[in-house]
Amino acid sequence: MKRHILAAAVFAGTIATVPLYAQETLPASAVAATTAVNPAAVAALRDMGAHLQALQRFTVSTELTGERVLEDGQKLQHTATAVLDVDRPNRVRVVMRSARGTREIFYDGKTVWLYTPAQKYYSSVPFDSNLAELVDHLRARFGVEIPLADLFVWGTPDAPADQFESAMYAGQDYVGTDVCNHYAFRENDVDWQIWIKADGNPLPRKLVITRRDDDARPQSTSIIDWVTSPTFRTSVFVFRPPVGAKRVELVPASAKKE
Amino acid sequence: MNTAHGTKQAVLLATTLSVLLATTAWRPAEAAGRGGHHVQRGSGGAAHAPRGGAQLNNAHADARTRNVRNTSVNTVNRNVNVNRNVNVNAHGDYHGGWDNDYHPVATAAAVTAAVGVTSAIVGSIVNSVPPNCAPVNYGGMIYQRCGSTWYQPQGAQYVVVNAPY
Repeated sequence: MKRHILAAAVFAGTIATVPLYAQETLPASAVAATTAVNPAAVAALRDMGAHLQALQRFTVSTELTGERVLEDGQKLQHTATAVLDVDRPNRVRVVMRSARGTREIFYDGKTVWLYTPAQKYYSSVPFDSNLAELVDHLRARFGVEIPLADLFVWGTPDAPADQFESAMYAGQDYVGTDVCNHYAFRENDVDWQIWIKADGNPLPRKLVITRRDDDARPQSTSIIDWVTSPTFRTSVFVFRPPVGAKRVELVPASAKKE
Repeated sequence: MNTAHGTKQAVLLATTLSVLLATTAWRPAEAAGRGGHHVQRGSGGAAHAPRGGAQLNNAHADARTRNVRNTSVNTVNRNVNVNRNVNVNAHGDYHGGWDNDYHPVATAAAVTAAVGVTSAIVGSIVNSVPPNCAPVNYGGMIYQRCGSTWYQPQGAQYVVVNAPY
């Protein structure tokens, strides 16, 4: 939260241009019609994060459209879907489907299992922290990304709000039948946009991320659907190897070429 | 990023791959025909299988589609210092997110090395893998490690990939 206050303080002043790092180049006497970072946009993100962290049990699903940039800059688009059953603070079940096949992740607060149904291969590692920590651990240690990982990070100190080069409100838009507030941010090597439900609870309904570090600007679009009164049982978070399943080694991402 | 040098390498790679694919793609299938305890996945029927359980057939996709220099990203709250190197694909450290579950055959340097030391050509598609393979999970993806050759499931078949680590 300290970061949020700092960000608000820094950007409460006005700036004449859009510097790469506003914090470093902010001229004290500058006056301009608009600020690069609209505090209201940052506040909307913070409110959404607080609401997400307060959700105890939910099912969330996404249909993602992503892009691969070929060597010559031509882009190919692909799609994938994921469904997550979540029971805070420390249980999640993920099913991911893409052209390659289906993969599953189970976490019951004590053990993480990765399962590939087509081959009946599974791996497990012990873990005992919350979901934000799980996201970070799987990514850093094993190079495994959990779909919609941001949902577990927004509203925590790991979601910095003080690094935006630009933050703006882009008006209202529909996602499905939901009226949403549309916000756009620039930071580091990405531009990103989020559509947050305008009526009722501030849930994210769409996320678009555009990379700026490749001139082809590969972009992903995630449509997000919510079930906030889920019907899953606690048993869904525990993996029980089916007949014929085989345990395989999960190699840490830091492993070096032999 | 995409230097002139890199482009030249890519063209060379694509040419090399297309030539080699034509001559090597069926070899392991013949090996499979000899029997043994090879690992084989179901094939065929993909078109009729229900959604969710269907195996797609990507065996005839143009080899250039696997020569990927970058992918989109799916999360904004990540350590930006980790995934910034746009070329780390070649080393298998960065799969581009949970949706991008394949191992690119990208760099010409790696392919050249593979051609020199292994019998299977990176990028080639096979129907089954040899009997001496050990499955591992790396980066959330399943690989078959067969001596110095690595395979990744692709639909009902396998693609030869660079060593992921």
